[in-house]
Amino acid sequence: MGALLKVELTRLRWRRAVVLLLAAAVLVPAVVVGATAWGTRPLSEADLASAESDFGGRFLRQEVRSCGRTPEFYGLEDVAAAELPEACRLAVVSSYAGRSPLDLSDSLESGAMLVVAAVLVLLLVLLGTTFVGHDWNTGSMSNQLLFEARRGRVWAAKALAVGAVGLLVALLVSLACWLALLAIASSRDLSAADGMLLDGVEQCLRTGLVAAGAAFGGYALTMLLRSTVATLGVVFALTVLGGTLIGVLGGQETQRWQPQLNVMAAVTNEVTYYDDSGLEPACLTGMARPRLDCDATQRIGAVQGGSYVGVVLLALGAVSVVSFRRRDVP
Amino acid sequence: MSALVIETSGLRKEYTSRRGGRRVAVQGLDLAVPAGGVHGFLGPNGSGKTTTIRMLLGLSRATAGSMRLFGEEVPQRLPSVIGRVGAVVESPKFSPHLTGRQNLLLLARSISAPDARVDAAVETVGLTGRDADRYRSYSLGMKQRLAIAATLLKDPDLLILDEPTNGLDPAGIREVRDTVRDLGAAGVTVLLSSHILAEVQQVCTSATIIGNGRLLASGTVDDLLAGAAAHRVVTPDPVLAARVLRAAGLAVTGPAEDPGDHPGDHRAGHPADHPGSEPDHALTVETDDPARVTRVLAEAGVWLSELTPVRQDLESYFLALTADDTLGGR
Repeated sequence: MGALLKVELTRLRWRRAVVLLLAAAVLVPAVVVGATAWGTRPLSEADLASAESDFGGRFLRQEVRSCGRTPEFYGLEDVAAAELPEACRLAVVSSYAGRSPLDLSDSLESGAMLVVAAVLVLLLVLLGTTFVGHDWNTGSMSNQLLFEARRGRVWAAKALAVGAVGLLVALLVSLACWLALLAIASSRDLSAADGMLLDGVEQCLRTGLVAAGAAFGGYALTMLLRSTVATLGVVFALTVLGGTLIGVLGGQETQRWQPQLNVMAAVTNEVTYYDDSGLEPACLTGMARPRLDCDATQRIGAVQGGSYVGVVLLALGAVSVVSFRRRDVP
Repeated sequence: MSALVIETSGLRKEYTSRRGGRRVAVQGLDLAVPAGGVHGFLGPNGSGKTTTIRMLLGLSRATAGSMRLFGEEVPQRLPSVIGRVGAVVESPKFSPHLTGRQNLLLLARSISAPDARVDAAVETVGLTGRDADRYRSYSLGMKQRLAIAATLLKDPDLLILDEPTNGLDPAGIREVRDTVRDLGAAGVTVLLSSHILAEVQQVCTSATIIGNGRLLASGTVDDLLAGAAAHRVVTPDPVLAARVLRAAGLAVTGPAEDPGDHPGDHRAGHPADHPGSEPDHALTVETDDPARVTRVLAEAGVWLSELTPVRQDLESYFLALTADDTLGGR
């Protein structure tokens, strides 16, 4: 098994499309982080003056005064009273200028780090499918089986290679991105909330696992369908139509089973969605009695999302390996 | 260990189309290949040769019947014997973007063979100097050589070659024939599937002929041809001679008072049947016993002008056997 695994890792390394995808898995997240850094760069005095002149006037001054009265609405509740006027001016003009300071928490939940995770998932699905689709396309799979007839071992060695490379790359890239964001924040004297560093590292770990799962899923599906094009078609259909179909068939109750929500929950630790199907009718008519719980917000945690993704991948892997062991190989 | 290297019994392969239609590729094939020597495996296109080979190598599942390689049941025990089998099935199948050497290295390392064996195999098939070129730049002949080199990586006891000289130039064909002959002489059992009958006759010590997935003939090449032995008889009275010989129970091709009188002599597709090919005074008598011909004719007062052994070749024998087997039609 060790020899087979080494061979598959070598095969991965020698495959040009895989190398290009790995390069993209490094470069695209770097661009995302770079774009985030650029888009959140501090406003210079010239930027502020320009924004004030563009949006200045009565409304802007009113909002600055409003900020002074209710700084908590602007996230400035901890700012000293003496510094509040300037902080409010900065916050209001920044929002008018369309440029907010780097927010690490937002980066994790819905910003750069989520985009990085999505990019890694997408690229590693492509890596998994390209890697083995080539074997089917060229017919070299049969040649490999003439040297190792235990198909289960061949399947497992390839799966391990794809999963391990996917995990390593996704983990390293997402960690590098997170550390880069931390460094940028530090260079701008932006303080990170307590535990933020650890939260980010944990999200990087989850990103690595989900992205490795994506690579494995792409591989397993291609071993089942024996075609890169067919796999990409199925993945596209599931992504675009799967969620819609689930929604159409089951309404809001089925949102819990939307793949995208579960993947996102597995990466970001938690997602919320709106489902009023379990509410009392009175909640929907606006005639709710006091104390009646009319909160329609639902949550999917990382464990739930991860379990969903894990079960899907396990089922796919089982079907894939059984099919590979039983079907004729062209 | 069984004295037979390859043994199949009642081997059957059915393909079912998506519309429920069935096509039988191999039906009840009993194949026996003894250890040592070069064994030809002949049959028209679509007769089931490649399907049989693919089943033996575990690439395709048999619908019914049993198979043994080196006395071991396959596919159940295939992993324990695949290391002793080198095979080229149909066209060579390698990764086109890798060099010939890289392709061989991947296969060699999957069986933990030393890299030096790749060098030896490359040298044996005459690819030294071109092994660093990408596979996609190879001519068909070079691809065939690389495929043969791959079979040599295992130092096999059994070599299964499916049309190994396809695409080779005359010099290449001779080299492959010499290689096959040398391997056979060195104790390697070679199963040579080929359409080139002259090649089989030159190289093989024994042969199996199949048609429509069924066994048609099997044995040593000499025995197969001896079974088709014939003698050309020239006599002043061929009509009388034919009548006398037929009366003695010999199969005769040549003048007859009425072709319908002797249905036994008009066996469709018999190797000796060449109607109209003999001159007016000549007959062809199917027998390997010329003394019997002279005795029968002398007793009837018919004197011979000429009695010549007719040397059948494998091609005419094969064509006669497979006369009804048109492109694998069922």
